[in-house]
Amino acid sequence: MSAPVLALRGVDLTYGEGATAFTALRGITLDVRAGEFTLLLGPSGSGKTSLLQVMGCLLRASAGEVRLFDQSLAGLDAEALTARRLRHFGFVFQHYNLFPTLRAWENVAIALDLKRVPAADLRGQAIDLLGRLGLSDRVDHWPAQLSGGQKQRVAIARAIAGAPEVILADEPTAALDGRTGIGVAAALRELALERGCAVVVVSHDPRMLPYADRVLTLEDGAITDDRPGGAGAN
Amino acid sequence: MSTPASIGRLARHRVPGTSLLAWRNLAHDRARFVITLVGIVFSVVLMGVQMGLLVGFARTASSLIDRAGADLWITAAGTSNVDITGTLPQRWRYQAQAVPGVASAHDYMVQFAFWKKPDGGNESVIMVGIDLADPIGGPWNLVEGSVADLAVDGGIILDRLYMDKLGVRAIGETLEINNRRARVVGFTDGIRTFTQSPYVFVAHDEARHYTFVDDDRTTYVLVKLAPGADREMVRAALAARMPDVRVWTTDEFSRATRVYWLVTTGAGAALTLAALLGLVVGIVIVGQTLYASTIDRLPEYATLRAMGAPNAYLYAVILKQAAISAVLGFAAGFAATGVAVAISRTGNIAIDMPAWLAVVLALLTGLMCAAGAVFSIRRVMRIDPTSVFA
Ligand SMILES: Nc1ncnc2c1ncn2[C@@H]1O[C@H](COP(=O)(O)OP(=O)(O)O)[C@@H](O)[C@H]1O
Ligand SMILES: [Mg+2]
Repeated sequence: MSAPVLALRGVDLTYGEGATAFTALRGITLDVRAGEFTLLLGPSGSGKTSLLQVMGCLLRASAGEVRLFDQSLAGLDAEALTARRLRHFGFVFQHYNLFPTLRAWENVAIALDLKRVPAADLRGQAIDLLGRLGLSDRVDHWPAQLSGGQKQRVAIARAIAGAPEVILADEPTAALDGRTGIGVAAALRELALERGCAVVVVSHDPRMLPYADRVLTLEDGAITDDRPGGAGAN
Repeated sequence: MSTPASIGRLARHRVPGTSLLAWRNLAHDRARFVITLVGIVFSVVLMGVQMGLLVGFARTASSLIDRAGADLWITAAGTSNVDITGTLPQRWRYQAQAVPGVASAHDYMVQFAFWKKPDGGNESVIMVGIDLADPIGGPWNLVEGSVADLAVDGGIILDRLYMDKLGVRAIGETLEINNRRARVVGFTDGIRTFTQSPYVFVAHDEARHYTFVDDDRTTYVLVKLAPGADREMVRAALAARMPDVRVWTTDEFSRATRVYWLVTTGAGAALTLAALLGLVVGIVIVGQTLYASTIDRLPEYATLRAMGAPNAYLYAVILKQAAISAVLGFAAGFAATGVAVAISRTGNIAIDMPAWLAVVLALLTGLMCAAGAVFSIRRVMRIDPTSVFA
């Protein structure tokens, strides 16, 4: 088995301090490996988003250790964590979070530009990625001209642009109807895994199960179940 | 490679993300962008006109000194400006001439007088008496007549800008100055006065008669140095020979005159204050519109931050919005200021726009927009990237 891309050991996350302190994650121990699609299930408020943020260098663990490529994140300042996000992570959000003033290809090009892809290559690479997501005829569209599923595909293209090792998606299909959601899930799995990314998807959506190698269930901030998913069974 | 299509293609390929976001943010908030530009234009025009007036007033106030071409000015002790002064014994001109290092010394008279218009009514003028035998400090920009014509009995030269004010139209007209008859023999173009009492050029000895100054006195002795002479040594030698005088270099006397008029009239403070006001108004408008646009786009900045954009990337987007606004606003504002400058050429009050002032204005515009961007930068500095998961 390959070395984990991300390793969490006994991670706690506490919001606030003193009387208002709230512990959202307790004792999370988890490895995330390249080429693996992990589905995070759990009721609302169970800490799924919090866990994704801790894994994605957006929040610091209050206790325990997070290691990225076997390097501890402890003691890194905000800018150093930001640099880790840029280099190793791609994010997909429930509400797509596309830049409304940029065309589809420009939304992808921003991620490439951030990763210092030469300006001359931006459009070509962005169009190539959008083509992989079946959006060849939408590259010059504005987000407002796209359907929800198309927007989320643009967002996936943006997340995998620049070949990050980890894709983190928070309820990517929650705002989409069933059919569209499945298409997005399939695209996410195919594209991410063919690049050897580790993928972690938070979802309530049972239709995601067939795409998962591994399914984790979170309750009250703790992992209560860890089993192979539909894809892992094959 | 120079067709519009290829330029468009080039732009699509080359524009880096921060420039693209900056431009699109402005283009999508068009109403706000227009307000920003109007604010900058207003501010540039206000600053440009006020500072141009200040520079114009300063140049006007000391123009007699700057144009005379003397190296040293001998004045009565206590003199603070060229327009209002006491008198000196005229023989000091000869004393000055005897000092080693002095190439030549010249009488020069500057005194207020009352001008009676041909159709009645009075105006105050400043008589400027020049030594016709060896003229220096005489009228420049002559458009009609010649300096030699001042030798005509009662001959005077004045500026076209003041024709209406003084009620004369043409060469040959006669009028009275301090109850003595005078005749217009020439016109200059563009010799303004700070005091708005027009300069009236006249022969030195005539000036004495018009202004009731004694026959053996004058107001200034202008000194030209011999080539290679040490200015400070000559100055000291002159001062040692003559009691109750002050010997100035041209630069010193010019500066003292400008400061005197700009300070005593309050014009300097008023104009500076108005220019500062323009700057403040500009900062407030740019700051306000840019901040509003930044607040609208906070989710996008948070997304960028979550994606791993360094703070500098966000600042660059905001600063580029400010810079685009500054460049366009300055271009329009400077053009409008240019119109005001051109109009002022034909009037009694000059708005000057030397190249250095244009550069200062451009820098102030940049400063204004950068300062306006600070509010927005301080806001995105505190942005929380986890907010995009809400
Ligand atoms: N910034 C925060 N401050 C305080 N409590 C928070 C914050 N974010 C989340 N929580 C709390 O942490 C718990 C887990 O939240 P979250 O990770 O968003 O759960 P999920 O994504 O599974 O719905 C919830 O009870 C939520 O109210
Ligand atoms: Mg959540």
